[in-house]
Amino acid sequence: MAHFDTEYQRLEASYSDSPPGEENLLMHVPEGAKSHWHHIENLDLFFQRISFYMKNGFTCMLLGEIFELVQLLFVVGFTVFLANCVDYDILFANKFVNHTDSSKVTLPDAFLPVDVCSARIRDNAFVIFVLIISGVFWLHRLVKFLYNVCCYWEIRSFYINALKMTMSELPYATWQEVQARIVEIQKEHQICIHKKELTELDIYHRILRFKNYMVAMVNKSLLPVRFRLPTLGESVFYTRGLKYNFELIFFWGPGSLFENEWSLKPEYKRGGNRLELADRLASRILWIGIANLLLCPVILVWQILYAFFSYTEVIKREPGSLGARCWSLYGRCYLRHFNELDHELMSRLSKGYKAASKYMNCFLSPLLTVVAKNVAFFAGSLLAVLIALTIYDEDVLSVEHVLSSITLLGVCITVCRSFIPDKHMVFCPEQLLRVILAHIHYMPDHWQGNAHRYETRDQFSQLFQYKAVFILEELISPVVTPIILIFCLRRKSLEIIDFFRNFTVEVVGVGDTCSFAQMDIRQHGHPAWMSAGKTEASIYQQAEDGKTELSLMHFAITNPQWQPPQETTQFISQLKERVHREATGAASDTHPLSLSESEPRSLIANLLAGPSTLASVHFSSSLTNHAAAGSSDGASALRSLSPISSSFHLRGSLSAANRASGHTSTMSKAMAGSGTDARTVSSGSSAWEGQLTSLVLSEYASTEMSIHALYMHELHKQQSRGELSRHTWHRQESDESSDSVPDEVRSEPNPHSRHFPRSHTFPTTVPSPSAIPTSSSAISSTTLGQERASSHSSSQRRYSGPTTDSFGVGGKVVRSARGVPMGGWAEEGQAAPRHHETLPEESSEDDMPPQIHKIA
Amino acid sequence: MNCRSEVLEVTVEARQVEEAMLALLHTILLHRSSGKFHYKKEGTYSIGTVGTLDIDCDFIDFTFVRVSSEELDRGIRRAVSEFKDALSITGSDGMGQISLEFYQKKKSRWPFSDECIPWEVWSIKVNVVNLANEQERQICREKVGEKLGEKVINVVEVINRHEYLPKMPTQSEVDNVFDTSLKDVQPYLYKITYQITDTLGTSVSTTMRRLIKDTLAL
Repeated sequence: MAHFDTEYQRLEASYSDSPPGEENLLMHVPEGAKSHWHHIENLDLFFQRISFYMKNGFTCMLLGEIFELVQLLFVVGFTVFLANCVDYDILFANKFVNHTDSSKVTLPDAFLPVDVCSARIRDNAFVIFVLIISGVFWLHRLVKFLYNVCCYWEIRSFYINALKMTMSELPYATWQEVQARIVEIQKEHQICIHKKELTELDIYHRILRFKNYMVAMVNKSLLPVRFRLPTLGESVFYTRGLKYNFELIFFWGPGSLFENEWSLKPEYKRGGNRLELADRLASRILWIGIANLLLCPVILVWQILYAFFSYTEVIKREPGSLGARCWSLYGRCYLRHFNELDHELMSRLSKGYKAASKYMNCFLSPLLTVVAKNVAFFAGSLLAVLIALTIYDEDVLSVEHVLSSITLLGVCITVCRSFIPDKHMVFCPEQLLRVILAHIHYMPDHWQGNAHRYETRDQFSQLFQYKAVFILEELISPVVTPIILIFCLRRKSLEIIDFFRNFTVEVVGVGDTCSFAQMDIRQHGHPAWMSAGKTEASIYQQAEDGKTELSLMHFAITNPQWQPPQETTQFISQLKERVHREATGAASDTHPLSLSESEPRSLIANLLAGPSTLASVHFSSSLTNHAAAGSSDGASALRSLSPISSSFHLRGSLSAANRASGHTSTMSKAMAGSGTDARTVSSGSSAWEGQLTSLVLSEYASTEMSIHALYMHELHKQQSRGELSRHTWHRQESDESSDSVPDEVRSEPNPHSRHFPRSHTFPTTVPSPSAIPTSSSAISSTTLGQERASSHSSSQRRYSGPTTDSFGVGGKVVRSARGVPMGGWAEEGQAAPRHHETLPEESSEDDMPPQIHKIA
Repeated sequence: MNCRSEVLEVTVEARQVEEAMLALLHTILLHRSSGKFHYKKEGTYSIGTVGTLDIDCDFIDFTFVRVSSEELDRGIRRAVSEFKDALSITGSDGMGQISLEFYQKKKSRWPFSDECIPWEVWSIKVNVVNLANEQERQICREKVGEKLGEKVINVVEVINRHEYLPKMPTQSEVDNVFDTSLKDVQPYLYKITYQITDTLGTSVSTTMRRLIKDTLAL
């Protein structure tokens, strides 16, 4: 048999390394976890830390915390030392020390010896008590510090490894850039497991979950922060201590409404036992109030000490700083958009600071000025003499009280000077207020055209208070806080329960968020703010002051990559197009809203060129001689925003280019014309822009937002001017029951409408029939509102909003309280039996309990 | 929370509780188990086989499939019978919730213990009803069987969605994802907890724990 020698050979021992019986098995390659950033447990905290870390960086964070700890030790230690270990007789030279070598008294002479000192401390029970308390507090802070350091170390490695940002470039990065990277990361690592992709809104929702609630509650005037005091009139009291207590009660304290950081407790989502829950909340508030009362001395002492140590030196160095102003805590809440991060808010407010303080300085009373000038003159002459004498012979200083009187006179002069207005300043409040509005974006309607009045100024000072007042309020806060909690907040417990039930939505992948923060025009739009016809919200559901609309614009402008749901996109693009058209000076004859009796100039031209007709009327009537100067000054102030129109165009084209390259959305059509030529500027890529570009972009974004805010306010004004007659009638009606204080600012006008969550802008929020949306239920509720306001008798009427059981954004959002938003403005006694009837019966046979609707 | 949660709700008679719970838990675990991994040198692995078993219920007209692993079955049975006992103590018509939680371990540095991060939680709410006579029991027997069948389909639908699952681990990390203590099957790490309605509110200890955690995280 022939033997063929071929190249085919049997493979020897090819399967020898696999165990018998496994030859046919598939082989798998494990992916492994490339990083440990997938699936992070608490994304809220994680994103918060990321955004916090971005501002500070690791080293600053570490140093800051360490110094805080040291400061605490120092304050306590130094106080105890001053109280126990210093011989004041020697310092005041009432007692003489006999030195052998020289007659000079040195500082160490005044210290008591260590053993005497420690004996004094040991004998004093109070000091021991204080020391123990502060020791415990300090240890708590120390543990927290160590924990924080570990967490931030994690965040640091996240930045370096996952986001690929080095520490050196971090300080110059913008939040938008970091956010874009996080969105990218999600695609790869799935840090959030519910969705394939994170949106910008998700990140904001998680970071600002509780802050959005606070903003909404302030917007709906739910929190008791406005009070009518017998002598001081209307005032706002909102301090850090109070804020802390609110958050403790609502969000994270023991037994709070929230189960954990991301979900409301299920029983609060159902309307069934709202009265019982309200009782429970009331008793909790009572207990927390009592606890505050008990801790009051400790907190008070701490506040005083802290204020003393931190501010005394500053006041001595520059006494004028007390006359400086700052944005109050209330102002920050009132002016904040939904979904606006801390740093965005602060940069916005800081831009408005100069104009705001200029505005406030307009209102110096001439009487005070005259007095101040003369006091300053006398004090100045005394001071001059003393200084001259001192220069001639410095022994003058050793005369008793000369040094102190020099200091006092200096302080006196500085204070007086703050009352003397700048010689070259002109009185142009209307224009200044408009410049302020361009930055702060919100103001009550009745300010417009009334900028020169003292009421407006007083109300503005609630937002923009003296630093001294701020410190004072913080000092008395420990005493006032428990009183507010026990007597004011407790009464509102039912409203609070209703608020959380009606305005909480469950968003897949985010958890429970405030429904206002969805910025859905349909659910929370206000017909007087351009969303007429689009909104289906009842008065109870509307956000006041155009908060929803302005927030939406702000968010869309700061996050151009964000893709809003269909209707919202339409709203934004319409508005943008309008503004754009008017800015470019196109004919506005097709404009539907310029039908009012004002001149046919376009609104933007109106804004940029000079004072509006209304304002100039006021000018000419009150201050004829200043009017001309005022208007030109105002115009120039407005121009100082930045070269508005040019930057606006650039920004528009930039964002359009981004959009066009990133996603193809309908919006890009609006600006595509100008977008093509600017494409080179944004260098193509959408998510990974150069740092410079993103910085420039964010600068333009703020300018663009300013324009939009001004435009929307102007439009709102024109719209409401159409219903002026009704408006004034209405105001007269309600004025009958109250004194001369503007009715817009009363928080609790009379006992009848105690449970009526009045907005401070209430009268103007009642839309005229022409502005009412087609939804019939909305009409009925608004007319009811007018009836109520005029008659003041219907204390037991219950307003139920329209049953908007709608699916929100993209069908993913479900109203947790389905059906009627109950108990919005209901009276407790009346409402109770009705609710038990109207409640949807929960069937236990259901596969899904009512609070977990899964639509997506 | 960064985890999916699914809720199932059943209404059963007291004597059916155990079987109904076993049926649902085993169904879920059947789809969340894989064969044992055998790692090779080059960073590859092969997967062993998983046997299945049909189980007929005594008190319900229902048959379900479970993984044929006695160890796994024993663990689940223990948890379920504890739940049943706790439920029967509270009285005749109790309500309770048993939840099956799949989690991942995340190794931490020294001062902290390993974190267990859940990625999927199945909560089964149980309503226990009392029936008067034998005829009603007979009807209930069939009805619960039908309901359970629906639930099983429901479970399979949920599991078939393309959603997050932990990535397949390398040899060193396999303990962070899978429960490797069983010798014949390898489910994802899971734990079973239960609550009876009386204690459904937050207990004192959890409140305290949260309080401490919150103050730390401030």
